[in-house]
Amino acid sequence: MASSSTAKDWLTWAFSPAISAIFATLLISLTLPLLIHFYLYRKAVAKELPTFLLIGPSGAGKTTLLTLFANGSPSPTHTSQEPQSAVCQLPSSARSSEDRYRSENDTSAQAQPKLALLDTPGHGKLRHHATSSLTTGSSLKGLIFVVDSAAVSSAAGLTEAAEYLHDVLLLLQKRHTQSKTSKDPQAIPVLVAANKQDVFTSLPAGLVRTKLEEEIAKVRRTRSKGLLDSGIGMDEGAGGDEETNWLGEYGTTDFKFSQMGEHGVEVSVRGGNAKGDGGESGKVNQWWEWVGGNI
Amino acid sequence: MLDAFEILTTSGIVLWRKHYAPIAPSIVDGLIRDVFIEEKQSPSNEQYRKERYTLKWSLAKDVGLVFVAVYQSLLHLSWVDNLLTAVKALFVKEYGSEVKTGRTTKLHTSRWDATFDALVTKLDTGNEPPPPPVFASQPKRPAIPRKEQVVMDDTTSADATPIPTPDTSRPATPHLLTAKGGPGGKTSRRARKAQNFATSAPASSGDESAAGKASKVKSTAKAKRRWDVDGGAIDDYGDDATLDYSASTSDAVNGDDHDNDIADVSASQMGSRTGKGQFVLKDLDDEVDAILASSRSQKSQSSDPDPSSTGGGGLLGTATSRLTGLFRNALGGATLTKSSLQQPLAAMRNHLLEKNVAREAADRLCASVETDLLNQKTASFTSIDKTIRESMEKALTRILTPTSSLDLLRDVTTTTTGPSARPYVISIVGVNGVGKSTNLSKIAYFLLQNHFRVLIVAGDTFRSGAVEQLRVHVRNLSELARREAVGRVELFEKGYGKDAASVAKEAVSYASNNTGKGGGEMLYDVVLIDTAGRRHNDTRLMSSLTKFGQLANPDKIFMVGEALVGSDSVAQARNFAKEFVDTKGNLRNNGVGMDGFIISKCDTVGDMVGTLVSMVHATGIPVVFLGVGQHYGDLRGLNVGWAVERLMR
Ligand SMILES: Nc1nc2c(ncn2[C@@H]2O[C@H](COP(=O)(O)OP(=O)(O)OP(=O)(O)O)[C@@H](O)[C@H]2O)c(=O)[nH]1
Ligand SMILES: [Mg+2]
Repeated sequence: MASSSTAKDWLTWAFSPAISAIFATLLISLTLPLLIHFYLYRKAVAKELPTFLLIGPSGAGKTTLLTLFANGSPSPTHTSQEPQSAVCQLPSSARSSEDRYRSENDTSAQAQPKLALLDTPGHGKLRHHATSSLTTGSSLKGLIFVVDSAAVSSAAGLTEAAEYLHDVLLLLQKRHTQSKTSKDPQAIPVLVAANKQDVFTSLPAGLVRTKLEEEIAKVRRTRSKGLLDSGIGMDEGAGGDEETNWLGEYGTTDFKFSQMGEHGVEVSVRGGNAKGDGGESGKVNQWWEWVGGNI
Repeated sequence: MLDAFEILTTSGIVLWRKHYAPIAPSIVDGLIRDVFIEEKQSPSNEQYRKERYTLKWSLAKDVGLVFVAVYQSLLHLSWVDNLLTAVKALFVKEYGSEVKTGRTTKLHTSRWDATFDALVTKLDTGNEPPPPPVFASQPKRPAIPRKEQVVMDDTTSADATPIPTPDTSRPATPHLLTAKGGPGGKTSRRARKAQNFATSAPASSGDESAAGKASKVKSTAKAKRRWDVDGGAIDDYGDDATLDYSASTSDAVNGDDHDNDIADVSASQMGSRTGKGQFVLKDLDDEVDAILASSRSQKSQSSDPDPSSTGGGGLLGTATSRLTGLFRNALGGATLTKSSLQQPLAAMRNHLLEKNVAREAADRLCASVETDLLNQKTASFTSIDKTIRESMEKALTRILTPTSSLDLLRDVTTTTTGPSARPYVISIVGVNGVGKSTNLSKIAYFLLQNHFRVLIVAGDTFRSGAVEQLRVHVRNLSELARREAVGRVELFEKGYGKDAASVAKEAVSYASNNTGKGGGEMLYDVVLIDTAGRRHNDTRLMSSLTKFGQLANPDKIFMVGEALVGSDSVAQARNFAKEFVDTKGNLRNNGVGMDGFIISKCDTVGDMVGTLVSMVHATGIPVVFLGVGQHYGDLRGLNVGWAVERLMR
C-alpha cells in the first residue's frame, strides 16, 4: 500500500509540468548517454591486455610463478582459494614476437609489452574457476600448465597432473572444433612448465613430457570406456559421441602432444623453477621466451 | 609462545609473516584445504589442529585476507584471539585499500613489523588455561603497566624491576604503579586522559589524511570513533562515563579548527611514530583496547536487528532513496548488508528446501553465501538476486565436486596388473530396500563390459531370499556377457546364517586363488560384495559392519542411498560412515569412512536432486554414481554442472 502510493506520488510529480521535473528529465537525458559511453569504453580498454592463464594441480607452483613474474621475486605462498590476476611486463631478455622484425641495431626505445597473468586455484574442488575462464576469456593468448616435476615421479602425482591436463586439452580441442565453423578459430598454445627443476628428485623436462604423454593415453582410454555422466544420459539431445570426447587423433593407442596440432593446440614442454633454494628467484627464462613468442 | 603468524590473501600469496620457529608450509595449507575449501570442520569450531600445532584464524572477506596464528597444541594461548582481532583491524586499516584493488601480489610491509611486535608485547598474557574475558573490566590492568614500562623505559629500568612474567605481573601491579612516581593512581590517570584527549586529535588528523589519500573514509571514521569512546571508557572511568566522553570525543574529531591548531605537532608525531617502535606502542594501546572492546560489543549485539534504515526523510526523500535503491539493484554497485541480503537469502533457502535439500545443508549453504557476500558490492548491471545466485552456484559446485575424481576402471586396472596384482574388492552397503543388489549388478555390468572377471559375493546371509535374488541377477548378467562376448561373472555364496565378514574373506582368497601351495593364476579381477541391508539405528547389526570393514578390507565401500523425497538419507549416511574405522580407530578413507555414494532412483525425482547435496554435506563423501533407471546400463557418473543447474532451476 505505502509503496504504491509513494510510487504514484512520484509519477505525478514526474509528469507534472513543474520546472524541477523538466530539469530532472533534461539532466537524465544528457548524462545517461555519457555514462553508457564511459561504461562501454572502460570495458573495451580493460579487455586489451593479452592474458595468459596459469593452470595446474595444487602445489605445482602457479602462485609462486605469478608473484615471480609480477614482482621479480617469488613470494611465499599457500594453497589458493581464489583466482588472482596480475599485470607483468616482459623482461628485456625475452623478445616479444613483434620484436622479431626489428633490426638488432635498432636502439630506439621500445617499451616491453605488458601482459595479464591469471592464476587459478588447483584444488580439485575449485577447478571450475580455471575451466570457466578458459571458456570465456576472449583475449586469452596462451595457457601455462604448471606441473611439479618431482611429484610426477610418484604414481598419484602423475595421474593427477595427467587427468587435469587431459581435461584442459580436451576443452581446448572442443573449443577449437566449435569455433571452426565461426570466423576465427583462435589457436591457444599451451606451455607445460615443468617446475621445481631445482629439487633433487625432479625429472627433467623431456622425461616429464613422455611420462605425461603415456599417462594421458591411459586416461584417455578409460575415459572413453567410462560411464556416461548424468548430464548426457538423462536430458535428451546433445549427447557427445565418442569421437568428440577423444583427445588427439581418434583411435590411436599412443598419445603424443603433437597430435594436438591438428586441433589448433600447440603444446611445448619446458623446464624451469620458480624458486631457487633459499627463496631467491629461480630459472624461468625459457618460460618467458615462450610467453614472448606468443604474446 | 606463538610459533608463527601469517597474513595471506585468499589467492594464496603470503603478504606478511613472522615465524618464531621453523614450521612447514603444509601446516597452513592443511588449514586452507580442510577448513576453508573442503569444509571438513563444523564452522562453529574456531580452531584447527594439525600435527602438533593448533591454528587459529580470522578472515577479512571484503578485502580477501586471511590471518593465521600457529602455536603448539600443548599451550593454551587464549590471548591469540585478541591478537587476531587487533591485527585484522589494524592491518586492514593500514593496507586494506591497497589490497582491495585485487591486483596486489606484494605489499611493502616494513612498517608493519614494529606494529606487530608491539601488539604481541601488549597482548601476550602467556600460557593461561582459563580464558577470562581479557580487558573486559577495570581489574584487568596488568597489560597497561607493562606497556608503560616499555614506553617509559627510563623510569622502569631505574626501578630495576624485571620484566614481569604473566604470573608475577598481577601481584606486582600496584607496586609498579606507585613506583612510577608521577603517573599513578586514579587522578593522574584522569590527567593523562586530558592529555590523551589532546593527542587523540592529532592522531586522528593524521589518520584522516592517510585515509583521504586512500579514499576509504567511511570505514576508518567509524572504527576510530569507536576507538575513542570505548578505549577511553575502559582506560579511565569505566562504563558509567562512556556517554559523556563519547560526546566530547566526537567534538574533537569533528572540530576542524582544533585539528588545524596542532597540525604541525601531528606531523612530527607521525614521523617518529613510524620510525620507532615505542611511539607506535603508545598510540596503539588505546586503539587496540577499542578494537577489542568493539569486537566484543559487536559479538554481544550481533543478535540485535540492524537499525540502519531510518524511517524519516519526507515523502519525496523516501521515494528517491527507494528509486536509487532500485537503480542500484538493477545497475549494480549496491553494497550488500545483512538486511539487504536477508530476504533474498531466505527465498534462496526456500528454493533449496523445495529441491529436497536438507534444512541443515540449506542453512549452511546460505550462511556460506552470506559470509561470501557480506559488505561486498554487486558488480555492474547485476542485481542482488543474481549475485546471490552466482555465489550459491559456486558454493554448490564446490560442495558437490569431489577433491579427487574417481576413475574406477583405472583403479581396477592398476590393482589387477603388475607384480603385486590382486583382486579389487568393492563392497556395497545401505539400508533395506534402497536397491543395493540392483546397483551392485549395474556396477558388475559396467565392469563386465570392460572385460573384467567379476565375482559377486552374497554377503547378505540374513534376509531370506537375498541369495536367490542375487542368483537371478548373476544369471541375467552372465547371459548378457556371453551374448556380448565380454568378461565373465559368477556368484559366491555360502548360504544363510554364516558371518558375512568371513564369507567375504573367503571369497577374496578364492578370487585371488593363492590359498594352495604357491598359488595359481588369479581367478577374478573384481570382487563385488553385497551386504545385508540394515536399519541405520540398529546398533547390533551396524557394529558388525566395523568388523566387516576390517576383515574384508575392501578397496572401495560405496553406500547406496535414495534420491526420494522424505527418506532420511542424511542420518543413514552419517551412521553408516562412522562404522568404518580401521583397527587404530581412525575412519577409513582419510577420515570420512566410505568412498562414495550411489544415489538410486534419480529418474523418479526430476529436478529435486537435493539429496545429493544433503548427503555430501553431512558426510564429506562424494557422490560417484547415480542410478537412473531399471536397466543394467542405467548407471551414470555425476556431472556437477548438471546437478547444479537442476538445483538452481
Ligand atoms: N623447490 C621449489 N619449490 C617451489 C618451486 N615453485 C614453487 N615451490 C613451492 O611449492 C609450494 C606450492 O607453490 P604454490 O605456488 O603455492 O602452488 P600453486 O600451484 O599455486 O598451488 P594451488 O594454489 O594450491 O593451486 C610452495 O611451498 C612453493 O614454495 C620451485 O621452483 N622450486
Ligand atoms: Mg596457488
